[in-house]
Amino acid sequence: MRVALAGNSRRPAARTAERIPWFDTMVLPSAGVLAIVVGYPVVYTLVLSAEDYNLIGTTPPRFVGGDNFAKLVHDPTFWQALGNTLVYTFGSVAIAALLGLALALLTERASGRAGRIVRALLLTPWAVPFVVVAFLFRYMYLQNGGAINALLLAAGVIDTPISWLNVASLALPAVMVTNVWAMTPFFFLLLAAALAGIPNEVIESARVDRARGWSLVVGIKLPFLRNALLVGCLLMIIANFNDFAKIWAMTQGGPGYATTTLVVYVYRQAFESFAIGYASAIGVVWLALLLVFAFAYLRALRVR
Amino acid sequence: MAAITLRDIEKRYDDTLVLRDCNLDIADREFVVLVGPSGSGKTTLLRIIAGLERTSGGEILFDGARVNDVDVGDRDIAMVFQNYGLYPHMSVYDNMAFGLRRRKLAPADIDDRVRRTARMLAIESLLARRPRQLSGGQRQRVALGRAIVRDPAVFLLDEPLSNLDAHLRVQMRAEILKVHRAVTATAVYVTHDQVEALTMGDRIVVMNAGRIHQVGTPAELYDAPVDRFVASFIGTPAMGFIDCERRANGDRAELATSSARITLGEVQAQALSCANAGNVTVGIRPECLSVASERDAAAADVAVRGTVQVVEMLGAEHYVHVATEGGSLTARVPRHQRLRVDETVTFVASSRDVHLFDRETGRALR
Amino acid sequence: MMDAAADRRGGTRRTARVVQYVAIALALVWSLAPVYWMLATSFKTELEAARLAPTPWPLRPTLDNYRGLFGGSLPFLAFFVNTVVTCLATAIVAVIIATPAAYALSRARFRLRAATGYAMLVFRMLPLVVLLAPLYLLLLNARLLDTHTGLVVGFATFGLPFAVWMLKSFVDAVPIEVEEAARVDGYRRWQILFRVVVPLILPGLLTTGTFVFMEAWNNLIYPLTFVTTLEKQTLPAALVLTFTGQFKTDWGGMMAAATLTTLPLMIAFFAVQRSMVRGLTSGAVAGA
Repeated sequence: MRVALAGNSRRPAARTAERIPWFDTMVLPSAGVLAIVVGYPVVYTLVLSAEDYNLIGTTPPRFVGGDNFAKLVHDPTFWQALGNTLVYTFGSVAIAALLGLALALLTERASGRAGRIVRALLLTPWAVPFVVVAFLFRYMYLQNGGAINALLLAAGVIDTPISWLNVASLALPAVMVTNVWAMTPFFFLLLAAALAGIPNEVIESARVDRARGWSLVVGIKLPFLRNALLVGCLLMIIANFNDFAKIWAMTQGGPGYATTTLVVYVYRQAFESFAIGYASAIGVVWLALLLVFAFAYLRALRVR
Repeated sequence: MAAITLRDIEKRYDDTLVLRDCNLDIADREFVVLVGPSGSGKTTLLRIIAGLERTSGGEILFDGARVNDVDVGDRDIAMVFQNYGLYPHMSVYDNMAFGLRRRKLAPADIDDRVRRTARMLAIESLLARRPRQLSGGQRQRVALGRAIVRDPAVFLLDEPLSNLDAHLRVQMRAEILKVHRAVTATAVYVTHDQVEALTMGDRIVVMNAGRIHQVGTPAELYDAPVDRFVASFIGTPAMGFIDCERRANGDRAELATSSARITLGEVQAQALSCANAGNVTVGIRPECLSVASERDAAAADVAVRGTVQVVEMLGAEHYVHVATEGGSLTARVPRHQRLRVDETVTFVASSRDVHLFDRETGRALR
Repeated sequence: MMDAAADRRGGTRRTARVVQYVAIALALVWSLAPVYWMLATSFKTELEAARLAPTPWPLRPTLDNYRGLFGGSLPFLAFFVNTVVTCLATAIVAVIIATPAAYALSRARFRLRAATGYAMLVFRMLPLVVLLAPLYLLLLNARLLDTHTGLVVGFATFGLPFAVWMLKSFVDAVPIEVEEAARVDGYRRWQILFRVVVPLILPGLLTTGTFVFMEAWNNLIYPLTFVTTLEKQTLPAALVLTFTGQFKTDWGGMMAAATLTTLPLMIAFFAVQRSMVRGLTSGAVAGA
């Protein structure tokens, strides 16, 4: 029981006000380093986004205000990259989350050594570096000699080998499959842990109420997994927004701009066209977009 | 060695006042117990004495010197925590030596002290072990040893026995008192268990809702509680209370309900007349009540009729919970007197055993 | 009747079991087939790896691809060493710097505590590519471009905030009473950190370090941008850069290189697999 503050009858003179410092010295090393390597670049990006700055150009950086942003609005490639980013991110995350959920439910009762081994094996894709994943799938997607074409031909699904990564309409889905393969273990592990965390009494009392099979999953387990799923999705959405390695190593954004996401576009603008100012403007827009998710994420955390 | 003085201690978290107007004098080498229900502020007060919490107001004095701004490590105190707080990564020996090393004692001196303390607590054979290899009781001893090996001026214990089973708890109570006698420290001991408080304390501080209600020896608290809270908190089973009306019966002061009649002694009657309270609550301890026939009841100072609600069997005796007009009472009844639930019984008591409280303020009328 | 019903139920249960096992088997194939393919190809000859009709396993297993990596024209060993050195350095530096911050965020009272915690969390979400251009210019001016130190600085942008959050979750788990006991024993904050807290969260330091190591190992964009000399390059970037050259058609050699790139990460992964969830959602459980 706590005592509510009783009016103004206290004697303020007798009180030694507790001084809470603004900052703590122990945070300084981390804060200092991050201020330099993250804080400063973020601010610098904002500045650069308002400049016409070409890294190899002969003219010095020039302030152009909102010109870069105006250019952005009329840049069809930017819009395509934005669309690709959204499709790539939400598509892969949704599929990976569903697959991870299915795997978690499938292996829920697998106990003992066999269960542990199965679970560990299902996690293997996670331990493969992104760049390796990319090259591996690139190899498997090959039109001539690719394992995937060979399999599909043998199964009679297709008649002629397909050049997956070179057809504009197929390249993005192909990259997404790769991404799903690499990401599913994350959801699997997260949801398996959450499933294991459901109190036994809840499951048992549901059983007593004659819930079984599907109704047990939908009615009882899914609500318990909601938070884990939410946090996992938000984390992966953010991670996928920023994904560079897989796309770059597989297609470099091609064919055309078919797999160009915002990261790839920024990278190309900055380090192939050397248009630092314009690249920064794209970065700023995208930063704003990401912050929306970051806040959604923080809100979700606070609700928990 | 230290006398501790608390003056107007106040503690708030944000806008919540968790301690107020705490005044207390603890004599050198005294064993004082802070007791109260959870949330009463007893642990916070102990932590303030330790220096682990700062006060929001008031002063703490050790031997007359203000220590508000003295850091916990410099107050010459030792503390036993509820969950022991042993260093999990150190052996028992190092746990005990850790504080001494900080004080830059000679290794031989440290070794001597650790071994002597270990011998006193019969934990010599455990010195090489890690805390996780110890049983609850052994951990408790190590925590005690770690505290006293430093020979502190003040020895603070925060519910040290709450994690032990009932049997071990009784044993450790005696152990702690023995240790306290062997060292020269002033001890402040926090517990929520009033039995522990009564059996261990030289003096007891009863706290509730951030205030000190009463400070006194166990006998004082038991015999003369200052208010209804202390009266109900100290003693098992708890004191029963009945709200009564005042009634004059010739020259004698009398309190009554429709099913109770309480004739007061002279001192009590005087206390009652001094207080302007019209509404009085009467408190009677369970051991003061005895079952009587209607005829005996007429002759007794105090007679209460009620309906048996619950009978608790405790071996040698029963606790009988009785509902009556204006409240309920608990009585300790010898085993041979069989009472059944829903039975109507009459209890009698002596007017000496009656405690009077103002119904509004809860203060004892004396 | 009853028996028939029970039988039927037993039957459905058995069917469900079979479906479940088949599904798990499919999932295992899906998860492992690409990895198998990588390994199998790495033992095939260049010719076999490029066959139009792929062979399911190496017909004539050979170590030539691995030999070629170390004996070939590319400094593969240097790539490997570069990656290990920079990733290890990042892990160690990040953990050392992050430990006091994590301790303070977990235990100390200061007004900007929540703000600092949130800032770390947001930093962690920042798209690296947004930092890329300014960071490039920063390293250029600091003369750290094309150095391993510069690369470690880059890796710190994501490694450090992550380490702070993850270590905080480990510090949170240390019983506060242990620290208070040390305070009563007369120790000061920094001493408590090093003599009590750090020994207690040693497994946490190792796990966190491993995570940072893995993330750095996975990173492609920083080495690609900040390292310009091929000999100083890390494995992921080197794979991307050289693929257009040496490995263009040499898939066997490519997969051998990929296998060796995977190996350290695989080891690190299974070392910390248990705390994987905690690591990836750190900051997600304990609010600032």
